Amino acid sequence: MASLTIKNAVKRYGNVEVLKGVDIDLQDGEFLVLLGASGCGKSTLLNMIAGLESVTEGEIMIGDRVINDVHPKDRDIAMVFQSYALYPNMTVGRNISFGLEMRGVPKAERQAAVLEVAKMLQMDHLLDRKPSQLSGGQRQRVAMGRALVRRPEVFLFDEPLSNLDAKLRLEMRTEIKRLHKRLSATMVYVTHDQIEALTLADRIAILKDGEVQQLGTPAQIYDQPVNVFVAGLVGSPPMNFIHSTVVRTDAGFGAEVNVRAHGQEQGVLLDLSRQPADLTPHVGRKIIVGLRPEAITQAGQRSAGDDQIFAADIDVTEATGADTLCVLHWNNREVMARVSSGYAQIIEGTMDFAVDMSRASLFDPETEMRLV
Amino acid sequence: MSEHATYSPAQGRSAIWMRLLLWTILIVFAIWFLLPAYVVVGTSLKDLEEIRGGSLLSLPHELNFWAWKHAWNEACIGVECTGLEPYFWNSIFMALPAVAISTLLGALTGYALTKWQFRGANIIFALILFGCFVPFQVVILPMAQTLGKIGITNTVYGLILVHSVYGLAFTTLFFRNYYVSIPDELVRAATIDGAGFFTIFRRIILPLSPPIIVVSVIWQFTQIWNDFLFGASFTTGGAQPITVAMNNLVNTTTGVKQYNVDMAAALITAAPTLFVYIVAGRYFVRGLTAGSVKG
Repeated sequence: MASLTIKNAVKRYGNVEVLKGVDIDLQDGEFLVLLGASGCGKSTLLNMIAGLESVTEGEIMIGDRVINDVHPKDRDIAMVFQSYALYPNMTVGRNISFGLEMRGVPKAERQAAVLEVAKMLQMDHLLDRKPSQLSGGQRQRVAMGRALVRRPEVFLFDEPLSNLDAKLRLEMRTEIKRLHKRLSATMVYVTHDQIEALTLADRIAILKDGEVQQLGTPAQIYDQPVNVFVAGLVGSPPMNFIHSTVVRTDAGFGAEVNVRAHGQEQGVLLDLSRQPADLTPHVGRKIIVGLRPEAITQAGQRSAGDDQIFAADIDVTEATGADTLCVLHWNNREVMARVSSGYAQIIEGTMDFAVDMSRASLFDPETEMRLV
Repeated sequence: MSEHATYSPAQGRSAIWMRLLLWTILIVFAIWFLLPAYVVVGTSLKDLEEIRGGSLLSLPHELNFWAWKHAWNEACIGVECTGLEPYFWNSIFMALPAVAISTLLGALTGYALTKWQFRGANIIFALILFGCFVPFQVVILPMAQTLGKIGITNTVYGLILVHSVYGLAFTTLFFRNYYVSIPDELVRAATIDGAGFFTIFRRIILPLSPPIIVVSVIWQFTQIWNDFLFGASFTTGGAQPITVAMNNLVNTTTGVKQYNVDMAAALITAAPTLFVYIVAGRYFVRGLTAGSVKG
């Protein structure tokens, strides 16, 4: 087991800078998820850790060892690929043991190791099959087994679940989480699925255009996104962005919005006084108030008296089972609210909503950065 | 390929006429193409008397293999009356190594060009591809000089070298296009597993290649076996391949023209390529399309 340090890693293809100086420090046994849209450089970074891509500038270290120029096979890593990349001509057993064979591990030892891993992944009955005879989920397991068998320092996953159907994906997600707990190995996991990222990660690094936007725990990423991009990327449905202007109030600061209620626009002053940021320089200036759908819910659900309560018209409702999403109109733009399913019967009409402004995120509309 | 068309009753009559017309045309063309083959086989089984007396299309009175035996090891080629046998073995000793070498090198080159992409790989591939379009005649003179410098003119080895080099363009094209469809992640996974360039080639890429190997072998074998120009240009006498020897056999006349021997010689010369097609032909078509369908 080992730590993984990425210092100012830069990747250039000719004049195109794909990674623009990435710094990530991973503790031993930590689970890092690289999250971002396609083309953000997350896979490139993973391949650089694996040694499949060269490092243009900067350093990548496993433990105390700089591995920039170390061959992939000597880095003590294992990788699970999106397409699984199983060797089609070899049986499952040979697939798993190939890496050991290449390292000159004696046959008896190899067989024991393969059997142990196969048992762990509950596929010891599949060892003599060819990959073409396996289902998608089974192939996935073989790919995992191939990585596990070598007991590497660092595990790398390149969107390993994206080829599975929804149910299997959920199962394998839990499986990976369980494996991580059991092995307490350092893992780096690339995905574009924010739910996967939130559920699996100890820490998430969000990449955009080759730059880390935010590196933090899932809770930090979710509750305190550093900019509008991160706030919009994580969470489903995404965070509501309400464009407003900061005003001074008796309690401190507020933001004005027009809420459609009883068919009319009604001015509501969102209370910003509990925000940690000093808003004095922003008074009279534009601001973006970010509110997650669950921060806007039916009045009376929460006992805390800190909520702001006001009426709003419901345009459309979407039942998701556990919750019901209501589309409201604030400032003539759609705002999602999440109410508990007991209220799912409400289809249209006006209802009192409670807004937890302590959970709001404030962004500067020009820089799109969080105000702190 | 074979579409089973269904017809509604209303279309029935005209459809049947169309079918009849189609079959008639196909049968006429089949006869058109098979007739010469029939004449060759038939003539080779007749004796000279029968050839002179009967019609070209008449069936032989009896199965007479004298002409075949004569062509195989008695007929005179130039001044040597050895038949085609030694030249047949010349061709075998030339074709087998040349096919093996060009196929293996083509596979290796195709693998390097697709799975170990280096700067300029596509330009190199384009240049190699260019080799497919260079006519044989263009390379004869420089090739003759090269063979002379190496000292293998007028040997089977010289022909092996010529055919290996000339075939490389085609085999590289075959293998390169086939390997493009094999996912790169396989090579990446194997690299992380600790396999190197040649180990990956031997353990992972080659076992996936039989369809395209069949294509390459058939193509190369046919090309090399049937080659006349290189054989005639770079060898004389005892080192000649069978195609050249057959030509000389036909042109060597001592008195009467032995059509039956000529025909038998032609069939002996063509037999190995026919054999390869019959044995592996269906893999040939399958292999040609395999790469494009399956990833």
